[in-house]
Amino acid sequence: MREQSAVRDERCEDPTKLANGDILQAVIAPLARLWRRSTTSAAVDLKPESAERHYRDGVLKVRGGDVDGALAEFDKALDRAPGFADAVLARAELLDGQGRCEAARGEYERARQLWSEMPAGAPDRRYLFRRRGHFAFEIEAYELVRANVRNKILPQLAHGNALLVRGRAAEALDSYERALRIRPNLPELLALKGEALSALGRYEEAIQAFDSVLAACPADVETLNGRGIACMALGKLAEANDDWRRQLDLLPQAQSSARACVAMRQGNNEAAFHSFGLSLAKEPANAYWLLYRLTAGRLTGAPRDPIAAPVGAQWPAPLLALHAGQATEEDVLARSDTPCQRTETLFQLGVVALAGNPAAARRHWEEVVERGAPALIEYAAARNQLARLGS
Amino acid sequence: MFSVILYGRNDSHGYNLHKRAAISFNALAEVMSDPDDEILFVDYNTPDDHPTFPEAIHDTLTDKAKKVMRILRVRPDQHAHLRPKTHLVALEAQSRNVALRRSNPRNRWILYTNTDMLLVPRNAEESLSSILGGLADGFYQVPRFEIPEMLWEAAFDRRDPAGNLAKLREWAVRFHLNQVVHNYMPMKYDALGDFQAALREDMFAIHGFNEDMILGWHCDSNLAARLALYRGRVDTLIDKVFGYHCDHTRVAAANNKGRATRMNDQDRFIWNVASPYVPAQAETWGWPDVEIEELRLDRDTAYQRFTAGLDKAIKPATAPFTGTSLEWQLFEDLTYDLPHTLPFVCDQMVTFPRSTAVMMVAARADFVTGFAAAWKGMGFTGPILIPEECEGLPGDLAGVERAPFAGQLPKADMFIFEFGLATQTATEPVRAGRAMAPLDKKRLRVVEKLFKRAATAEAETRPPARRVQRRFIGVNVIYNKFWTTFTDYVGANINPFCSQVLAGLPREDESLKGKVLRFRGRHAL
Repeated sequence: MREQSAVRDERCEDPTKLANGDILQAVIAPLARLWRRSTTSAAVDLKPESAERHYRDGVLKVRGGDVDGALAEFDKALDRAPGFADAVLARAELLDGQGRCEAARGEYERARQLWSEMPAGAPDRRYLFRRRGHFAFEIEAYELVRANVRNKILPQLAHGNALLVRGRAAEALDSYERALRIRPNLPELLALKGEALSALGRYEEAIQAFDSVLAACPADVETLNGRGIACMALGKLAEANDDWRRQLDLLPQAQSSARACVAMRQGNNEAAFHSFGLSLAKEPANAYWLLYRLTAGRLTGAPRDPIAAPVGAQWPAPLLALHAGQATEEDVLARSDTPCQRTETLFQLGVVALAGNPAAARRHWEEVVERGAPALIEYAAARNQLARLGS
Repeated sequence: MFSVILYGRNDSHGYNLHKRAAISFNALAEVMSDPDDEILFVDYNTPDDHPTFPEAIHDTLTDKAKKVMRILRVRPDQHAHLRPKTHLVALEAQSRNVALRRSNPRNRWILYTNTDMLLVPRNAEESLSSILGGLADGFYQVPRFEIPEMLWEAAFDRRDPAGNLAKLREWAVRFHLNQVVHNYMPMKYDALGDFQAALREDMFAIHGFNEDMILGWHCDSNLAARLALYRGRVDTLIDKVFGYHCDHTRVAAANNKGRATRMNDQDRFIWNVASPYVPAQAETWGWPDVEIEELRLDRDTAYQRFTAGLDKAIKPATAPFTGTSLEWQLFEDLTYDLPHTLPFVCDQMVTFPRSTAVMMVAARADFVTGFAAAWKGMGFTGPILIPEECEGLPGDLAGVERAPFAGQLPKADMFIFEFGLATQTATEPVRAGRAMAPLDKKRLRVVEKLFKRAATAEAETRPPARRVQRRFIGVNVIYNKFWTTFTDYVGANINPFCSQVLAGLPREDESLKGKVLRFRGRHAL
């Protein structure tokens, strides 16, 4: 079975955070404050981004043959961010190579577990946004490749993709532009440039890039999705919905989860309800498909299925609890730890409120539009719902 | 849980191919434990008259390997449209995609490797099925370790995969075999194509291997580049599996000419890859509309079909042996022993597609009757086309179609010309100095005339969809007066007299003699 997918937006990720690093942050914050009193540099070191620096130093030491030095760097990275799967794996490989196979074995598994617990992106989006990972290894690896394999597209493009998913859109844009200097106007590169521009909030420029791609490849569903997001961010609802409608027409029936997500963006709740049902049949453990099916069902007024009690505390279980009437607005907001989760929560609060209190629904959705990232499904869905409410 | 995809053909690609491949097939089957697991071997462009590669070495395979193996046979005619574009006789991207399209949809994983690899779970208690079953979605590779030729050739027992895997575990330590060769991303390792595990769903999403890659090499790197983009990461399974390669460079394989080796363009297919997808082949990759024959080694084998066919046509011999002679004074004697000859005729047919339509031009009625019974018994579904010009032959046999020769020519996939005596009886002695009766001469004149016309007009009468030459089988054409006739027009090998049968493709002789022969053949002069 596939691992449970969540739906994540790359702009919602705090780039200074690593997955599962939140608990660590909470633990180390007081320590950091204590340290700051005595040793400023050490305190600065106790930030998750320093984990990436140690990781990078570790990678350089591996390349230089300094295994012990590399292990020490990876240990430091993991001290600062225990959920840093790239460092866990790098350490595992070094231990394995030293013959410490038993110690390594658990670390390999841990790295895989950490990756699998990371949220995946919405399946209607461009391929690079659907993946799980920190991509610290890829950023370093492709940095090396592009320094040695000059004037080629792939190293720049792959480097850019890793950066973009990590939320480093400006650097990603630079990589894509370097690639475009090698092959100007290549649609695949222009499309990625458009995504980077969109991530930077430069929506008009993003739309221009996407327009060029679609002029050459009118059936490029991923670019239709990207242009729709940029249009929606600019409040061009009709244009956005047109792109997504076209995307929905082009997506094969077998890609039910992608179809469901794009239907939900455009507020086509009947289609979303149907397709999320198919997705749920394929991936019954995917809590998002259950949540979104409930959402689409409520918005279409479909008879409500009994809601299975959410298992565990992992996101988006609190939102399912909200639908089941087992959690209050305050409970759910309190458990929304990231901007992304808060946007999802506000959207669902609007969905639950709609029937009894449309004004409250409007208020929640307006907040989604005001604060949420345009790439999120909830952002587009909220805008479309607000349009229906006449705002 | 997983489908292993391999490809090759019945030739001699590299040193001691048969042993390497048997070791590998058996070892791959050995680490399978899920009932849905399968080895898909695409037998690409093996000549039609040869069995597929796994069939050729089936006796060296374990029962388990035979059980899990599905052979997908891509015929030379199906490759013919690509032949002018490549120097290679087996194409990796096409082969792997044909298999992917037809892989078991219940399997989550596709494993790409080659027929000289042994995959050794580091934990001897684990199978590859259980390893893959526990993995998160992703794209996984392992480094390839080399086994010196001496070790695998001298010490491995083909039919003892468990013993071979155990030996590898020991040799790895004793002979320091395990050296990881790192490579730039996205390749990650050297020789990456010997273990690439991808989700079946992902392979469909990215449209399989890039079928523009027809010059050999780098198909694996292209796949890694595209899957690395698609998945974002290239994960390792080094903690779970070691992959060992039976080194075979004593003799260079056909695709290895040292520095002069022709290859797919690295820049185009690796360093300038810009997308995971190959949209130009989105609807066509893996030839979804092409009918690909599937063969099994554990059921309905060629041997079973061959014997079933002959059992329908001939009775067991009643004497310990029979006799014939090739002494020169018997050159004009065209008698032959039908029950002895029929197995050699069927041997020429059994590897062809079951839908083959065969044209039969013969003099002996009992040959036609016997062959028709064997043909049906071997499971052929195509018709036996007998020209109306051939008199005295049975026309009411199941599967036989009678029509004028010219009309049947474009329908035939293969030809049999039988040069026997219409008057020969089943009980008379063979090659005892028998002279031809007038009826024999009359019938043989027709057979000879039609043979020459068919051979010389083969190219222009070929069925429209067919791209390769049709095969001609001559019965009773060795060391008699029709030997030169047959071999003037057909490029046949020298065969033992005892088989009575020659076969080959029409000669394309541009010499003056060849032109004269063609002219005479066309006009039946």
